[in-house]
Amino acid sequence: MTDTAMAATALGKRFGRRGGWALRDCTFRLPAGRVCAVVGPNGAGKSTLLALAAGLLAPTEGRVTVLGTDPASARARVGYVAQDKPLYPQLSVAETLRVGADLNPGRWDAETAERIVSAGDLDPRKKIRSLSGGQRTRVALALALGKRPELLLLDEPMADLDPLARHELMGTLMARAAQYGTTIVMSSHVVAELEDSCDHLLLVGGGRVRLAGEIDDLLAAHTRVSTATGSTGPTSEDGSPDSAPGGLPELAPHTVVESRVTGRQLTALVRPAGPLPDDWRTSTPSLEELVLAYLRNPQAAPLTPAEPEEAAV
Amino acid sequence: MTTLALSPDSSKTTGHAPGAGWLFRLHRPALYVWIGIVAVLAAGLVWLWGPLTDSSAAAWREYNEFCLKRGSCHYDPDAIVRYKDVYGYTTGALTALPFVVAAWAGAALFGRELEHGTAQLAWTQGLSPVRWLATKLIVPTVVVTAGTGLLVALHRLMWSAGDGRIDTAKSWYDSFTLHTNGPTTVAFALTGLTAGALGGVLLRRTLPALMFALTCVAVMRVLADQVMPHLWPAVTRVTSLDDGYRSSGLGVDSGLVTATGAHIADPGCGPTSVSSACKTVYDDLDATGFYTTYHPESHYWPLQLTTTALVVAVATALAVAAFVLLKRATATPTRGGTEASV
Amino acid sequence: MVEYRIDRHSGVATYVQIVQQTKQALRLGVLQAGDKLPTAREVVEATAINPNTVLKAYRELERDGLVEARRGVGTFVRRGLNTTPADSPLRTELDAWAVRAREAALDRDDVAALFTAVLDEHFAAPDPNGRTDLHSRTDRADAPVRPSRTDLHDMHDRHDRHDPNPGDPS
Repeated sequence: MTDTAMAATALGKRFGRRGGWALRDCTFRLPAGRVCAVVGPNGAGKSTLLALAAGLLAPTEGRVTVLGTDPASARARVGYVAQDKPLYPQLSVAETLRVGADLNPGRWDAETAERIVSAGDLDPRKKIRSLSGGQRTRVALALALGKRPELLLLDEPMADLDPLARHELMGTLMARAAQYGTTIVMSSHVVAELEDSCDHLLLVGGGRVRLAGEIDDLLAAHTRVSTATGSTGPTSEDGSPDSAPGGLPELAPHTVVESRVTGRQLTALVRPAGPLPDDWRTSTPSLEELVLAYLRNPQAAPLTPAEPEEAAV
Repeated sequence: MTTLALSPDSSKTTGHAPGAGWLFRLHRPALYVWIGIVAVLAAGLVWLWGPLTDSSAAAWREYNEFCLKRGSCHYDPDAIVRYKDVYGYTTGALTALPFVVAAWAGAALFGRELEHGTAQLAWTQGLSPVRWLATKLIVPTVVVTAGTGLLVALHRLMWSAGDGRIDTAKSWYDSFTLHTNGPTTVAFALTGLTAGALGGVLLRRTLPALMFALTCVAVMRVLADQVMPHLWPAVTRVTSLDDGYRSSGLGVDSGLVTATGAHIADPGCGPTSVSSACKTVYDDLDATGFYTTYHPESHYWPLQLTTTALVVAVATALAVAAFVLLKRATATPTRGGTEASV
Repeated sequence: MVEYRIDRHSGVATYVQIVQQTKQALRLGVLQAGDKLPTAREVVEATAINPNTVLKAYRELERDGLVEARRGVGTFVRRGLNTTPADSPLRTELDAWAVRAREAALDRDDVAALFTAVLDEHFAAPDPNGRTDLHSRTDRADAPVRPSRTDLHDMHDRHDRHDPNPGDPS
């Protein structure tokens, strides 16, 4: 048994020979049993990353492994729901689930699939083409969960759902994670949507991984500080103020993600490199603050604790 | 028992590979339509083969025996027209069948699935892309071969029944009858199928894949007609300038023969028995007779089978191209893949 | 059986909310010694929160000696908290005090402020790990160690993993 659900090493994907890179230099490790949020703006490379992990795309460079093997070999153990929830429009809901059973002989969990569908008050005889977006999501999730995946990859799973269905289906997913230790990876461009459900974060921006790790660790590694400018040491002694990374010499030893001066007030989000001065006011950022700070500042140094893959034994 | 040492959940995690049940579930309407088309055409061909051939042959016999000799007679012109019409419809439909297969394969079987992501859905269920493509090619190949094969066989039987009995019956080398009487039609249909697969995988769009498949079949048909006469050694027959061309069959080449035995172009004057003025023309050219290079009816099967083999080879090449493209675009098991899982 | 209600906008960390609500249920006698807490699966199915959050809360309650996890069975209440039944003398005194406060023209907020001030004088500050006190110095050293998924009593596959927690003082 492996305890790495998903790992990427220098993973990159370019569409077309001269096209731009949708994803590049992607290196991270997701331990098994986590619920991981893949967050980033639209077009950041989230879908590409998930499609690579699902084996739908071949990487242009680097490699991705899922469940300790290559995506093609892990196919039967990985569930995937694409962003636009493709389903066969000509089939009924019940027929769709039967196709799921046909495609997953020996693995199919008909009871689970039917339970997810019936929780949405869906008539099994209804044709897929007549379903609403939320109902399609429900059927797509039923197909993905029916195959008893060890790793579930969900691309914007909640986008089409009303708040009630969103809560209920998220509950179903969490129950799955609790009961079977299923690793769940879901993408969204709305951080708040995933904050309570996820314990691991992958922040993707501009085709690169900006943050990767346990959410608690990532929050703990960052501090929001506010202080009066020039309160710690004279500015002039540190040379020209603008030369320091982040532009403010007070913050010099620390990694600055974002800083702002309003009047004489300096506020910043930093990764402290050591103890902060006692007279600074500090607080832990919220996940949303953290994510937004990184997205607003594409030049901020990424935090992706690179663990050797061999650690998984 | 040593077998117990094997991973007990290997069967549970891997399962066995899916069969073709899903394919029938997805394309059941198409299968029913196909069965319907084949049944209607088969019924038409059987009707033609039996009652229509008989009544048309009887009408022709009456016409030839009485009308031409006595001037007044009683024959059934409707029977002759009905045979001719139904023959035209069924042969036309059978000729069009490979195009129908191509359109369906390009649009419904492959293009639409790749455009709307349902192919990708199947690939993330228990089905690898290669297996998905293989199932989608093998099962329809069997169904299309069975249906088209049956119709071609019936057409051949029907045509043979009328041959020599009906004056307006199509010759064996008539460009439509030539193919509908033999397995080239089956090969064209299979080309439509694999061209649909390649178009779908290549273009990933419904309409372009459909157009691609149709174009492939059309080009294949034209090419087959061009190439067919050269796939088997033809026969050359020389006739006198008086007689003109006398041979009938699938023509390859024709013209004038000179005293030295050289083949030269025919100025198109015609046999000297029709127009004596042509004699001076031929004398100027030093022509001694007409030659025709052609395939007699005995060449039918060699021509059919070699052409079929060629078309099937092209269809196979299209399928191989589709597999290569699909494998390149999607993740395939790496050699180190299983090692990494240990 | 206790049912947790998670308020996403309260600013209180989710696991703290579970701890607080469990303690509240113990105080009110909704939960008593021997009662079974809902399984992590049941909680997350109803609340859509991360299973680790529930386990973290249960671990906290276990460390306080309020509950105990029995492998493969579930998490059970070990002891209740000091309950104050409706007819207790303390409640009667407080009731009388509230009447006097009202007669003294104090409004609800005044009373609450007064009560909190007295409370702070006599009792230690509440749980410091919540995200509520945003202005205190962040000190993750005393943050509880994340529970690992191996604690799940109803989990099928078990495997150990080292939890990379930089805040762990060890």
